[in-house]
Amino acid sequence: MPREAEPSLNEKQFVIQALQENLRLDGRELDQYRPLELTFGDQYGVADVTLGNTRILAKATAEVTVPYADRPLDGIFTIATELSPMTSPAFEVNRPTETEVLLSRLLEKTVRRSGALDTESLCLVAGQKCWSVRVDVHALSHDGNLTDAACLAVVAALRHFRKPDTSMEGGRLTVYTPAEREPVPLSWLHSPFCVTWSFFGDEGELAVLDATWLEEQVRVGSCTISLNKHGEICQIAKLGGTPVDAVALLQCTNVALTKVKEFSDLVDQKLAEDLKRRDKGGFMAELRAENDR
Amino acid sequence: MPLDTSTYNLALLRVDGRRWNELRRVHAQIRTQAAADGSSYLEMGHTKVMCVVTGPSEPGPRRGGVAGGGSGGAGAGGAGGKAEVVVGIVIAGFSSVDRKRHGRGDKRTLELASTVANALAASLHTHLFPHSQINVSLHVLSQDGSLLAALINAATLACVDAGIPMTDYVAACTAGSTSTYAANDEGADPLLDLNHQEEQELPGLTVATLGESDRVAVLVCESRVQVSRLEGMLAVGVDGCKQMREILDRVVRDKGRRMIQEGTVEKGVGLDDMDVD
Repeated sequence: MPREAEPSLNEKQFVIQALQENLRLDGRELDQYRPLELTFGDQYGVADVTLGNTRILAKATAEVTVPYADRPLDGIFTIATELSPMTSPAFEVNRPTETEVLLSRLLEKTVRRSGALDTESLCLVAGQKCWSVRVDVHALSHDGNLTDAACLAVVAALRHFRKPDTSMEGGRLTVYTPAEREPVPLSWLHSPFCVTWSFFGDEGELAVLDATWLEEQVRVGSCTISLNKHGEICQIAKLGGTPVDAVALLQCTNVALTKVKEFSDLVDQKLAEDLKRRDKGGFMAELRAENDR
Repeated sequence: MPLDTSTYNLALLRVDGRRWNELRRVHAQIRTQAAADGSSYLEMGHTKVMCVVTGPSEPGPRRGGVAGGGSGGAGAGGAGGKAEVVVGIVIAGFSSVDRKRHGRGDKRTLELASTVANALAASLHTHLFPHSQINVSLHVLSQDGSLLAALINAATLACVDAGIPMTDYVAACTAGSTSTYAANDEGADPLLDLNHQEEQELPGLTVATLGESDRVAVLVCESRVQVSRLEGMLAVGVDGCKQMREILDRVVRDKGRRMIQEGTVEKGVGLDDMDVD
């Protein structure tokens, strides 16, 4: 099993000592994120998130399938994560590492179990036909904090996604192509976002947001908090690591809430911009003979 | 069926007749397997868990991928001059109401294993055993809520039995809140130690703290809950962990005293003035 090269002792000490003096290697504040960029693809449901040198691509797709026998009234919603060797030599194809398992569990809990997508609206014919919505998360570049970037990408991709319009007439289900009928957005209930704190120091007294890969390698623990802008916690995961004071964790949650509101505004704003870009001015404008050439 | 909120408000009693701040009956034993380096058996209500610790010993052949041996394994630490803590969890098919097969790579089990491994690795003095491995094997015999808490407690006890030096007990328990996330009432009571039924219906979290301190080693919340509700739940959870630590400590001390009385171990020199009651 290939392993990621560890930073040298000098490097580790350098990072930790700098953090103890409230300095980070890239000159950020301890609770500051790297520049976050969100772009959408030409197709519906493709979101590309860049967080510093971390880059995540999420693509949402939908197909008509048979619902699970035990949930005839629900559609199917899956999130598939893939950390390929192009991200880091420590990842192998078809062999999920612990990082990947934890990442996919975290996305699952944050987006799926919190009921962000109304799966009942994906049902077409009870017990026979339903939409199966699938989001594929690809990590293109790994420089720490995959979780927050991946979660943002998934939420953005799903909110950008449009599924083909359908109609039922006399027991016949028709799925329309985009040319026949404008595709419809998913029924989206709330937008959860992850905020990951990394802890440093002997007692985990230094809490840092958006750790880079180097910082992730020397941290003593981490805590991922998922919230939506209404102040509802969707998930908290501090899976072991150095114990951290309970009061400090509560403060972390409050700071996370402000960050989540920023993310929420960013996604709203980018979605509005994208909608404007796609809006060509209606049917007549599309039929014009003039073009950009 | 949801937790009968109407009756809770009338009598302030939960479905199993407990008050909000009561733990379920905890029964624990250590040294249950004579051949193992360390072993324990723990019941929290109807949640029953067995744990066997092997090691610190020479690491076996290099493991591939995530799974270590049996189903649902995960490791922590191990890099450099530290012992690696490898945790494997086996959830018996008969442990819950619906007989469900848990596959080898079940993500939930892997997550549980990784959590237990990371929580232990931070408390055990792994730096004393370079290039070695501590194998923790957990078996879930019966599930009735608070599974992660029971796993952590059982693993802690087994590590104590194995004589691996550690900073303090890692004691865990769960806490919940009486109303669902949608109801924004301020009168919601926090609850201690959720059973399966409460876990299904109500928001809850699992807390593990290190010894008697307020320092949280594990905090897992998997349900939707208002942020304002967290403080109360966490406070009750941390308090429950302190109670749990007392219980675990009593189990270890009782066993130690009995072993001295039976003459299985010789009374150490310093033990006379040590408080072994």
